[in-house]
Amino acid sequence: MDLTTIFQAVITGVLMAGIYALVAIGLTLIFGVVRIVNFAQGEFVMLGMYVTWWLWKAGGIDPYLSLLITMPVLFVFGVLVQRFLFRPILSAPDMAQIFLTVGLSVVLMNAALFFFTADFRSVKTTYSEWALRVAGITLSVPRIFAFAGALVLAGLLTLFLSKTDIGKALRAVAQDREVSMLLGIDPERMYLLAVGLGAALAGAAGGLIVPFFYVFPTVGVVFVLIAFVVVILGTLGSIQGALLASLIVGVAESLGILFAGADLGLVVVFAILVATLILKPSGLMGQA
Amino acid sequence: MKGDILLEVEGLAKRFGGVQAVADLSFHVREGEILGMIGPNGSGKTTTFNMITGFYPPDRGRVRFAGRDITGLPPYEVCGCGICRTFQVAKPFRELTVIRNVMTGTLLRHPDPALAETRAEEVLRAVGLAERAQMQAGSLTTIDQRRLEVARALGTAPRLLLLDETMAGLNPTEVAEAMRLIASLRDQGLTVVVVEHVMRAVMSLSDRIVVLDQGTKIAEGNPREISSDPRVIQAYLGAEYQRA
Amino acid sequence: MKAAGSPEYYLPAGILLFLIVLPFLLPNPFYVHIVVMMAVFVVLGGAWNLIGGYGGQLSLGHAAFFGTGAYVSTLLVNAYGISPWITMWLGGLAALLLSLPVGIICFRLQGPYFAIATIGLAETLRLLVLHFRDITSGAQGLTVPFRGDAPWLLQFGSKIPYYYIALIMAVGVVLITRRMERARLGHYLVAIGQNQDAAEALGINSARAKARALALSAFVTGVAGVFYAQYTYVIHPDSVFGLGLSIQIALVAIVGGVGTTMGPVLGAVIMEFFIQSTQIIFAGQYPGLELMVYGGLLVAVILWRPRGVIPWFARLYQGLVARLPAAGGARA
Repeated sequence: MDLTTIFQAVITGVLMAGIYALVAIGLTLIFGVVRIVNFAQGEFVMLGMYVTWWLWKAGGIDPYLSLLITMPVLFVFGVLVQRFLFRPILSAPDMAQIFLTVGLSVVLMNAALFFFTADFRSVKTTYSEWALRVAGITLSVPRIFAFAGALVLAGLLTLFLSKTDIGKALRAVAQDREVSMLLGIDPERMYLLAVGLGAALAGAAGGLIVPFFYVFPTVGVVFVLIAFVVVILGTLGSIQGALLASLIVGVAESLGILFAGADLGLVVVFAILVATLILKPSGLMGQA
Repeated sequence: MKGDILLEVEGLAKRFGGVQAVADLSFHVREGEILGMIGPNGSGKTTTFNMITGFYPPDRGRVRFAGRDITGLPPYEVCGCGICRTFQVAKPFRELTVIRNVMTGTLLRHPDPALAETRAEEVLRAVGLAERAQMQAGSLTTIDQRRLEVARALGTAPRLLLLDETMAGLNPTEVAEAMRLIASLRDQGLTVVVVEHVMRAVMSLSDRIVVLDQGTKIAEGNPREISSDPRVIQAYLGAEYQRA
Repeated sequence: MKAAGSPEYYLPAGILLFLIVLPFLLPNPFYVHIVVMMAVFVVLGGAWNLIGGYGGQLSLGHAAFFGTGAYVSTLLVNAYGISPWITMWLGGLAALLLSLPVGIICFRLQGPYFAIATIGLAETLRLLVLHFRDITSGAQGLTVPFRGDAPWLLQFGSKIPYYYIALIMAVGVVLITRRMERARLGHYLVAIGQNQDAAEALGINSARAKARALALSAFVTGVAGVFYAQYTYVIHPDSVFGLGLSIQIALVAIVGGVGTTMGPVLGAVIMEFFIQSTQIIFAGQYPGLELMVYGGLLVAVILWRPRGVIPWFARLYQGLVARLPAAGGARA
């Protein structure tokens, strides 16, 4: 196996890492603010993919353009989920919270199966097959777009959280609910915002990959599993951690596919999870 | 043997972020005595308990119990060695009955549930909770929750009992009752360390007293010596005045 | 004093008697199949309940233990011709061994780690079984060669013997749960669930208590996996290691009532009844609709019946006991 092949795999992994980061940041944002581990995060990605596919199919709207629709749609969806499903169980035991999101995931997955059937859908754009060749390495253009789009969105989110008053309020709630209430912040509204944003990011991730990724009802499962590993490796609640961890996970998965076989990429990702839980359960950004 | 050193704490230190909660603390507890530990709020008493009982690993220092180094052992092993503690904020198993709460302690030395239950009944009689045995722990009054904390700890048959502000929030009659209970434990041969805010209680109950301020020991001695120690008056009254 | 003729005795005895004659009352083997599956889910839900209910540790990957039992046994049966009556224990043991590292790694930590790690475990096993097709035949799955009526090979021409084996296993799980609940381990698990710090201060090694409950749970689940392989003759990685199965196992306990002896029994009966009826109603015409209803049910239970149906059922049962006359009238 020559170096170019390995390098190619690393690049592919890095490009995919942007998408993993978006899904994981959404997950970690919801966990950080609302303290709910959202097992339906992968289905938010799936919804984003179907919305994008449907807009393209029915309205001929370009997938990147339709982000302007997909993200608000998913945002509203997330707000509704928080308002009607998460809010009643905020103080319930972990078990109830996890199972609620698992139930939501099952419902969404099968709703997609019911409405869109199990068929694999794809969006064919003029640039779907475009590729750059640099020093023997093939760079798929839509993958580069997805990576760049993910970085831009992650950057915007970071700016939002650090520069705007609402963003600061969101971080305050994540830090300490009681103190933030003393500061006059209404945590309930921040919860709505956090789940809305988390869903919108997942939806954006879905929209960004549609040009080169099949759309099918169970597509979210892989994304949520990878996002969990990213979030644990990068420390629960940390956005910088999620970015760094997604690079590691993306590259490891890609190399795993290269060396162990296409069907074992995810096994390598789980090996990272096990290693993290053994060596540093608090993750890369963790204290101890 | 009565009078031998049972617990020895040497150079214990713990830092939380920018706060040195406990700094270079050394003291010892003799078998069969009641040692009082006092100090203003935030002087490091509870942190010291947490380090002795394994809830926080100390940054530095050693803890020796009955000649054995127990520094950094997990809480359950510390308890297994014969040190049991209560919590400042009572942590009952709320949805369980009082007797089941105490059984959770007695099962440590009596793995057979039937025996553990008999033993738990004895402990409940000793602390005066026998009539409440079938009540849910969460519905007990404050003093009864404190009693339950002590009962559960006693259930593990400790040699050393660490009581963390057992009397806080009790009225004078209840304080007197609690003092009688603690004295009776000592008379049965138990060694007790009491962290307490209620000065009068500590003074009349303790054989010796250790005074902490800002994480260090500022005085040690019998109650008479302590009550006339200028450093103690300074630290304590100073703090009292500030709060008022 | 309760007389032997009081409803408290004859009612459970009557139910047991009913379960014993049940297969002969059912019109055809399809119904026997349904009650066998109910019993299998009593076993699975009950096993899950040991760690998920009493231990408060949410497993979303119990299929890992089920599949391990099924695959280990079937591989041994096919390769060495060992009797399933023996591989049943080996399958359970393999699942137990698999659970040990999971418990050791996860129970030091507090948080959602166990739930995520168990999903990861089941998925990893599923992918590995798919990958190493030389040994496992991959996606094709493994088949237990049909030998007709061969009791020694745990194969029967009729479904009724399977029913009795499943019934014995189901009753066994109820008894194991009851025993654990009353033993030191059960007391410890419940205490840990209420307040872990207080439990540790009382000398309880919470990680070890949870790991023990998980080991017991994994063993029972593995044994059930072996039975399932023998009963259905064929196992696939997706069916025995799938996330769907893991969720269904947990759902049985949650619908019934976690942390109670009879909760999973009720849950299994209700869920299986529900699944079969939706299958009849929708007749497989609308893919996804059944599972959609199923997930919706899970959400509804969490939101409105977080303790499951058991409190409601317990009242019903107590009411029945109070109202029924004592047997042999004169003695009452």
